[in-house]
Amino acid sequence: MLAKFMASQLSFTGFAWKNLWRRRLRTLLTLVGITMGIGAFVALVGFSRAFEHEWMRMYTSSGIDIAVVQSNLLSSSIDESLAAKISAVPDVAQVAPMIFNLMDLTPEVNALVYGWRANSYELDSLTLLSGHRFQDGTTEVLLGDLLAGNLGKKAGDMLSIQGTNFTVVGIYHGSTALEAGAVIMPLDQMQIIAGMEGKVTAFHVKLRPAPGGASYDEYVKRASAAIEAALPGTRAYPAAERAANNQIVVLAHSVAWGTSAIALLIGILGIANTMAMSVFERTREIGILRALGWKGRHVILLILAEATALGFVGGLLGIAAGWGGLRLLSALPQTASIVSASVSPLHLVESLVIAVASGLLAGAYPAWRGARLSPVEALRYE
Amino acid sequence: MSSPNSTSGPISAGGPISARGPILEARGLVKSYDEGRVEALRGVDVRIDAGEYVAISGPSGSGKSTLLHLLGGLDIATQGQVFFKGSELGSAVDLDSYRSHQVGFIFQAFYLLPTLRAVENVQVAMLAVHESAGNRAERAATLLEEMGLKHRMNHFPSQLSAGERQRVAIARALANGPTLLLADEPTGNLDSVNSARTMEILSGIREQRGMTMIVVTHENDIAHAAPRHIRIRDGRIES
Repeated sequence: MLAKFMASQLSFTGFAWKNLWRRRLRTLLTLVGITMGIGAFVALVGFSRAFEHEWMRMYTSSGIDIAVVQSNLLSSSIDESLAAKISAVPDVAQVAPMIFNLMDLTPEVNALVYGWRANSYELDSLTLLSGHRFQDGTTEVLLGDLLAGNLGKKAGDMLSIQGTNFTVVGIYHGSTALEAGAVIMPLDQMQIIAGMEGKVTAFHVKLRPAPGGASYDEYVKRASAAIEAALPGTRAYPAAERAANNQIVVLAHSVAWGTSAIALLIGILGIANTMAMSVFERTREIGILRALGWKGRHVILLILAEATALGFVGGLLGIAAGWGGLRLLSALPQTASIVSASVSPLHLVESLVIAVASGLLAGAYPAWRGARLSPVEALRYE
Repeated sequence: MSSPNSTSGPISAGGPISARGPILEARGLVKSYDEGRVEALRGVDVRIDAGEYVAISGPSGSGKSTLLHLLGGLDIATQGQVFFKGSELGSAVDLDSYRSHQVGFIFQAFYLLPTLRAVENVQVAMLAVHESAGNRAERAATLLEEMGLKHRMNHFPSQLSAGERQRVAIARALANGPTLLLADEPTGNLDSVNSARTMEILSGIREQRGMTMIVVTHENDIAHAAPRHIRIRDGRIES
C-alpha cells in the first residue's frame, strides 16, 4: 500500500516537461533564443510606447491642443511666418513655433533640444528651480533637472552644443522625461544650429476654451480642419494623434518593431529547430506511444505542449530581461532623457501571449510530422 | 466491408471473455513493401477465438511479426481485412481506439521510455484514455506489484535487469485492461530463467483474465507449449 502511495504520478504536462529536460543544454539554448526575442520586444516596444506616452504627457502638461506640421513629409519644415495665419483662426488662443531635434551634447550624452520663443506659453508649464528664462537672440539655454544632473551643470555654467557655446541661465523641473532630460534654447539660435533659418518643425497651438455644449474632441477636430483650410499643405493634428506620429516616435516604433520582429523570428526558428530535432530523435518513442493507442492528436498535443512550455518559460524570462534592460537604459546618462522604465501590464500580457503563440507556431510543423508517423514504421526506426 | 452491426467510435473496454467465438478474423491478408517488390504476407486467412492462446512461429522474414502487427492494428494490410468481433479494423473500428482499449503489445526490445520510471512507463499507456492521475498511478503500482516489481517501480529502465524491463512492459500492456495480448518475441532478449518466468507470467495472466493471447516466437518449446500453433513460411500459413 505504501509503495502505491509513493508511486510517482505521470501527467501529460509532466511527461512533456521530462522530454524537454532530457536535453537540458538544447532546451536552455532554445530558451535563451526566445528570451532574447521577447526581451527585445518588451524593452524596445515598451520603450517606444512609453516614449509616445511621454510625448502625450508633455503635450498635455504644456496645454498643447493641436500640432501643425508639414503634410506628407517625415521631416517637417514650415515657414515661421505662417504663425500669423494660424493666429487668425478664430478658435486659436496662442501659437508657439518650435523646432526639436535629438543632439549629442557630449560623446556620452544625447538629449532632445527644443527651440522655443522666449514668450512661448509652453515655458509657463515648467517650474524654474534656479536662474531665469532666456532671451530671444542670445546664446542662452535652460536645462531640465535630469539632464543638468547627468551633465553636472548648474545655472551660470557654459554648455557647448554643435560647436556653439551657450550659457546655462536656468534649471527647470519637467514633469516628463522628455522635458526633464531636455535643453531649451531660443528658437532663433536653434534655427541657426539646425540650418533652418526662417523655418520651424511645428506650431504648437493652444485653443480658446471649448464653447459650452461642444465636446473637446469635436472642438479640436473642427479647429484642426479650420487651420488646415487656412494653411494648405500643412496637417493640423490633435495632440494625442501627434504624440503617436511625430518623427522621433514613428522612428522609435519602427526600429522597435523591426528589431523585435527579427529577434522573435530567431527565437521561433530556435524552438522550431529544437522541436523538429526532438521529433526526429524520438521517432521510435512516438511509435511506441502510437502502439500504446495514442492518437495522432495526442502526439500533436504533446509536442505542442513542449513547444508552448518553451515559449511560456522563454516569455517569462524575456519579460524579466526586457524590464531589466529598460531599467538599465533609464539609468544610463546616454539614454536617461528619452527612456522611461515603466512597462504597462497590458504590454507584459501581450509579450507573454506572443511568446506562447511563438511556441505554438514553431511547434506546429514538428507536431504535424510526429502525428503522421506510422506506428510500425516508427518502431522500426533505428 | 464492415459488418452491419459495427460501430465506428471507441469500442467497449476489454475484459474476461466468457463466450467462445471468433474475436479476430483475418481474410486474404496481403502485405507488400517497396511498391510491391517485397511481399511479407501472401494471402493469409486466420481465425482466432476469444480466450485462445495461439503461438505463431516461422523462420526470420516469414511474415509472422507482420501478421501480428496487422492483427494488432499497428499496420494496414495492402489487401484483405481484419475483423475484431465482426467489425472491420480501420473502417468500422478506429485503429487508435482499438490499440488503446483492446490490445496490449509486448515487444522483444521492451520499448520502455528511458526518461520515465517503471511506474511512469506503465502510466504512459493510460494517458491516451480518460482517467485521473491518481487512478493511473494506483493502477500502475498494482500491476507492477503483480509483476513482482513492488520495490522497483520508481527505478528507471536503465536501472532494471532485462527480465524486470520485460515485466514492466507486460504491466504496461495490461494498463488499459485489453482483451488481446499480442507478444512479439517476448523472450527474444532474455536468458532461459527470465524467459521461463516471462512465459509463466503471460500464461497466468491469460488464464486469470480470460484474455486472448497471440505470441510470435521462433523458440520451439514456447510454440509447442501453446494449445494452438500456427506455422508461417514465405508469407503463407503452413499449418
